[in-house]
Amino acid sequence: MSGTKSVSEQAVNLLRNNIVPLMFIIICSICIPLSGFTPGYLINEIVTRMGRNIFLILSLLIPIMAGMGLNFGMTLGAMAGMLALIFVTDWQIWGIPGIVLAMLLSIPFSVLLGLMCGKLMNMAKGREMILGYILNYFVTGLYQLVVLYMMGSIIPIMHASIRLPRGFGIRTTVSLANMRRSLDNQFALYVGKVKIPVLTFIVIGLLCLFIVWFRRTKLGQDMRAVGQDMEVARAAGIKVERTRIIAIIMSTIFAGFGMIIYLQNMGNFPTCTAHSQVGMFCIAALLMGGASVEKASIGNVFLGVILFHTMFIVAPKAGAAITGDPMIGEFFRVFVSYGVITVALIMYESKKRRAKSQGGALLALAQREQEGGAQA
Amino acid sequence: MKDRKLLFRIGALAICVIVAAVMLVIGRGHTIYLDNKTVEDYNGQSYSAFHKVVITVKGEEVAKLGKRERGMSTWMGQNFRMTLEITEQKGDDPVIKEVDVKLPYSVDGIIINLPALLAGLPEEAWFDEFIPAPEPDISEELPGEGDEFGFGDEMGMEGENLGM
Amino acid sequence: MGNTNQGAALGKSRLRGLVDQYGLPRLIITGFLLFLFILAPIGGADLPTQITNVINRFSWNSVLVLAMVPMVHAGCGLNFGLPLGILAGLLGATLSIEMGYTGGISFFMAIVIATPFALLLGGGYGLLLNRIKGGEMMVATYVGFSSVSFMCMMWLLIPYTNPSIVMAYTGVGLRNTFSLENFYANVLSDFWKIDLRNYNINLIIPTGTLLFFALLALIMWAFLHTKTGTAMTAVGSNPTFAKASGINVDRIRLLSVVLSTWLGAVGILVYQQGFGFVQLYTAPHFMAMPTVAAILIGGASVNKASIANVVIGTILFQGLMTMTPTVMNALIHMDMSEVIRQIVSNGMIVYALTRKEGAR
Repeated sequence: MSGTKSVSEQAVNLLRNNIVPLMFIIICSICIPLSGFTPGYLINEIVTRMGRNIFLILSLLIPIMAGMGLNFGMTLGAMAGMLALIFVTDWQIWGIPGIVLAMLLSIPFSVLLGLMCGKLMNMAKGREMILGYILNYFVTGLYQLVVLYMMGSIIPIMHASIRLPRGFGIRTTVSLANMRRSLDNQFALYVGKVKIPVLTFIVIGLLCLFIVWFRRTKLGQDMRAVGQDMEVARAAGIKVERTRIIAIIMSTIFAGFGMIIYLQNMGNFPTCTAHSQVGMFCIAALLMGGASVEKASIGNVFLGVILFHTMFIVAPKAGAAITGDPMIGEFFRVFVSYGVITVALIMYESKKRRAKSQGGALLALAQREQEGGAQA
Repeated sequence: MKDRKLLFRIGALAICVIVAAVMLVIGRGHTIYLDNKTVEDYNGQSYSAFHKVVITVKGEEVAKLGKRERGMSTWMGQNFRMTLEITEQKGDDPVIKEVDVKLPYSVDGIIINLPALLAGLPEEAWFDEFIPAPEPDISEELPGEGDEFGFGDEMGMEGENLGM
Repeated sequence: MGNTNQGAALGKSRLRGLVDQYGLPRLIITGFLLFLFILAPIGGADLPTQITNVINRFSWNSVLVLAMVPMVHAGCGLNFGLPLGILAGLLGATLSIEMGYTGGISFFMAIVIATPFALLLGGGYGLLLNRIKGGEMMVATYVGFSSVSFMCMMWLLIPYTNPSIVMAYTGVGLRNTFSLENFYANVLSDFWKIDLRNYNINLIIPTGTLLFFALLALIMWAFLHTKTGTAMTAVGSNPTFAKASGINVDRIRLLSVVLSTWLGAVGILVYQQGFGFVQLYTAPHFMAMPTVAAILIGGASVNKASIANVVIGTILFQGLMTMTPTVMNALIHMDMSEVIRQIVSNGMIVYALTRKEGAR
């Protein structure tokens, strides 16, 4: 708030703002030699995971811009994507056309779920994150109701291969064998042992361009204004509620697309649980890239994916090398994922509170000045 | 202004629907089973199997069939095209033929009898639908029938074991 | 002033909850549960067995649900950080067994050992929550998650040696689940147990556990009527007013968090003695949500909860948990209970979060 900043203060600020990525760079650089992976293998793994995850993580950016925090409700979009994939698998549409069709098909589901999520979030302003988080379990219940009990009985499912033997419900795993990596393999480049899924990266690039462009549009500006201060934005004639709902709907749609890209790389998915960890992983990765609850950039996404997945790949082996028990490494990476989210949330909340009390103090000061008749 | 917006929206929606429809057509996958088997007694005539057939689809050799053998290929869309390298009798020079087959949209698994197809017989002679054998009724483990709250495997790893 | 308010609220909350449109979800759930009870005999399920199940489940879970009350009262929101208390309880349980206590003594010792951990963890957690007023719930959720995953490592690393709890083949690290048969399984529920099976009625009432819960609930109720307790209520309902009237808000909040954490620790021990097993590693993850859902179904809101809410909520929720599968299975040979449970309980939390009066 104070006007001038000394150089040392700036340096401290710079360090503070990038402390999370720095910490993980250090962790990774310790763990990589311990894990004993070859660089080729490691880079290949990371590139694969980048292609698979970045789109999903990018979907988190828009709600952050609109001041709605980390969209824990992005799993709703993931579920929409999974629903679409189940249908497309049933209709036997393969390859890239299958992926495109699944994406198009996921849009109506995403819009519906996003609309619900946005409306509820408007009813719980200031608690968007916890609401999104719980909502994800609630919608998981609805999703399971549809997938396990309605599909095949009310919603026609033609193929016995994806249906449960009892006649309705979808099997525990849906195979995407005919779609598997069709996006990744198209125009794939091989550099040494590293496979670069060019088309996937082009799709990701398009989304990045879209986000950059979107920030400059009227709607994007409105969203930022709403994110800054809802009341000021409202006074400026922006339809706050509507803008927030649009932000969530967009995020949900992109999350749906992201999930489809993610699953085409996996090649099959557990029908009921594929989405359950997606939100956690994406948010942890974004935060590791140096994003915070109210500020995130495309750069954060890329850095975060690289750091998160490096840690993810090397932690079990490094853990095994240190303690002799691979389970420790497994638990360690889960702990770190949760830990980074926890720390980010604590930092955000305490900052918000400080700002609030500061604002309160300023207000009190202004009032006192008014009472004294000396108007600033 | 408002009209333009509406028009724009309808246009976007129409494009989505059209793209979806196109995808439905060009992305429809079929599994094709190619039989090199003698057709006994079709309208009083029989068409004997070839000594050897090499089948190439999209530049990739999918099967090399001797007598009474079955090969398999997959195809997206309805205009199936394959290249056959046929050796009719032992010792003959192979003949290369390009064959186009129109696949019915609604059938997943299609059995094509090659001798009958190449003899130019009507569809009923060489076409058959492949019906997978009914799977044994294994009662699959359903998620969430345990004592847990049904939150799934929250701590589980990202699908590491899934076809990596 | 505070006393009468509290008493009136207690008496009225049930009636008002049913009449008021805000109590609609609870009304529906009660109706649904009654409907299930009526359907149960038709479907061929034995009613006394069902009642036994519900009472049993109630006795296991009620203390855990009670652990929600202090924090909600002090305005710290729903305690999604319950796993922290559970971890303290688990530490108490494992250490008590490790030290070689058996039988009923091990239960008592588990509580004794868990207490310092609960105080320590709860204290730290409380100080943390004081720094982030207004955003407690999200942080609590993730504090719970990260501490559970941290303890996952610890269960492997702490050098436990008792052969009945460490992994069978390696001898290093604790087992995922171990039986309490030789330790404190059913120590409470066998106390003054009413067993009607001799009279051909399949009804068992675990009196001891119910009494234990009643004791804790009574203490809680009494505490809420002391000076500190009313101060807590004041902090929860109007922090600005509380501060103006000279209450140390932070201290009261800290106290409530410690209390909640300790009750969580005791709660999991009670749960274990009923269930008969100790579940470690990721198990505490799954405990917070049903507990939160239970108290909300009982009519509590984000910043208001009473003992009555606990009792009603636990009965309704556990009734739903136990009745739905049996009745569903008996009637339509299809178990949709898991899905229904998930929709109802999480829907309840979503509903509570979007309520206007809950917003501060």
